[in-house]
Amino acid sequence: MRAMRQNSTSTKRLTAALIVAILAVAGLSVVRELQAPPALVEDDAKLMTPEERAFVADFHRFLVKDHDIDYRVVTVDDAGDINRFAVEQFEKLFDKSSSATGRGLLLVVDPTQDRVRLEVSFALEGAFPDAFIAYVENRQMVPFFRTGRIADGILASTELIAIRAQRAADNAGFDDEPWATASGGGGAATTARIGDGPEQIPVPPSPAEAPPTNTPEQALQAYFAAMDARNASPDLAFYTPATREMLRGWTITQAQMDQVVDTYRGCTAQPIKSDPTSSLAVIRYPVAERSCAPFFFENIDGAWALDLTMMQRAIRFGRTNAWRFDQSIDHPYRFAFTDWRFDENGFPAGVQ
Amino acid sequence: MANLSDTETGSHTARIARMERDGLLSPSQAAQLRDSIQPRSADDSAGPTRGRWPARWIGVFLVTVLVIAVIAALFGSGGGPQTVQDVSSALNQPGGVGEMNATVSKLIAVAILLIVPLLLWALMHNSLVAKEESVFEAWAQTESNYQRRADLVPALVESVTRFIQHESEILTEVTRERGQSTGRLTEAIDELIRTQTDAADALRANPEVLIEDQQKLAQLFAGQASVGRSVGNLFAVVEAYPELRSGDQFLELQAQLEGTENRINVARQRFNDAVGDFNGTLRKLPWSLIASAGNFQRKAYFQSEEDARNAPKLNFN
Repeated sequence: MRAMRQNSTSTKRLTAALIVAILAVAGLSVVRELQAPPALVEDDAKLMTPEERAFVADFHRFLVKDHDIDYRVVTVDDAGDINRFAVEQFEKLFDKSSSATGRGLLLVVDPTQDRVRLEVSFALEGAFPDAFIAYVENRQMVPFFRTGRIADGILASTELIAIRAQRAADNAGFDDEPWATASGGGGAATTARIGDGPEQIPVPPSPAEAPPTNTPEQALQAYFAAMDARNASPDLAFYTPATREMLRGWTITQAQMDQVVDTYRGCTAQPIKSDPTSSLAVIRYPVAERSCAPFFFENIDGAWALDLTMMQRAIRFGRTNAWRFDQSIDHPYRFAFTDWRFDENGFPAGVQ
Repeated sequence: MANLSDTETGSHTARIARMERDGLLSPSQAAQLRDSIQPRSADDSAGPTRGRWPARWIGVFLVTVLVIAVIAALFGSGGGPQTVQDVSSALNQPGGVGEMNATVSKLIAVAILLIVPLLLWALMHNSLVAKEESVFEAWAQTESNYQRRADLVPALVESVTRFIQHESEILTEVTRERGQSTGRLTEAIDELIRTQTDAADALRANPEVLIEDQQKLAQLFAGQASVGRSVGNLFAVVEAYPELRSGDQFLELQAQLEGTENRINVARQRFNDAVGDFNGTLRKLPWSLIASAGNFQRKAYFQSEEDARNAPKLNFN
């Protein structure tokens, strides 16, 4: 009798211990679930490599850090009505948002229907109106999608979004309201054109005479005019031969060309720096104008040409669109910056 | 939210005046378009203000009864002030209930019988009010999006009519060949202005009255669906003019109109969800009693099956 009672007590204790253990494990997993950051990229349609997914997620984490914008990417095979799908997914995913101010973006890519939609939360509607979103999709993202570069298209769109967000923060700011986390259907959808092949941007008719490039300023002016006309032709006279070769393999979007014009409209060029021992020259901008990267020129047979090849190798842009030199790259245009100081990351820090 | 600010209305009116001055619109078209974007008058835009008269009187009645009951419980027992009380009877005896406890018990009974139902009534009434407010908020969103589309129409009309004017000025063989298509553009613009004008009156109706009247709401929806179809039809005709449809300004307008169309769909769906929640609650007991006492009315749905079949499919690519 006593042994039976002891057995019963042991069983009860064991059961209690088991229940406590199960509850503890369940509790821990719930806590972990609550603490885990939401996935920024859900690539169900397998459009990106694991490295690309990680890179996009990292880039988007900076968007949260710098601008408190939670930008998610979902790829899915056959989303049905992509507009409705995006609203429903937005409601579901942003129930757990990383943004404290309701700033949310959701990109849905559907390769089966060849559609893409970028959904915008109420908080971002003022800064990112539908027309801007359609522009980002059509003029920046889709040109990369056409060549199958999904991750590059997403990253290129994120760059434009970051630039626009910075401007919004500098100017009127955002509409940060607690209710604004939801989406009311704002944003835009378009045909993704995945794998359709490179976009044929119509080249505007060339003027009867090529613009003179007797000085670096004239060459730069001709470049800005071409960008303003959205002329992506690699064969323009003011490019060096190496630049022409490089541009032939590039995807140049209309948004990128617009961005060049838009950025340099507010820049104040300094006097040309020439190297008396070579045929090189640089047009640079004040240190404080951090988005205005310098231009490199080479004199070839008496005409000045833009050396985008060396610029592309030597100059990098930070998350706030500020330029810096890649310290690991040696280039022959350093002569123009001997009177400037640079920090350890290559960002110009001031005049010596 | 649904209505334009004075500045916005002014800018749209100025745009219409400019189009009229430049000969892009006839005086009657300008008047129609101007009328179609006029906001609702301040009196009508006040939102839901209907009093809950029966509910209010029931509330006053219940509170009065409660006060009387409490007073009666306090003074109705224990005798008058001159009475010399036998204190021992009020003291708790082992296993017994004293006079003091009897009074407390009466108070608790009164509380249970009156305060708890009163609290429950108040909670349920407030819950119904909150659900009804959700319906009004959802309606405000829907209305705001209809108004947003109405605001975009003058810009669309200007963009297209300026193109028509430009085309008619370049008298080449090619444009003469396109004469009929330009005529189709003009027809599409006329239709858009007409449908928008027809739909504007319904949008200016008092929202409280509107969303409780299935027939009026159906009329409004039909009118707005016609505007949507007219916009879709205009874009279909514009497809024949690459130089018009590929311009940055026109692409921006398209994107905004497409976005607005999507917002309208989302807002309509959410409105129907909110109405479904509210109406569903009204049918359940004891909510139906509270609703009847509080003069809560069923709300109308957007019934769009037929219109959905005819809805314009806007594809701007």
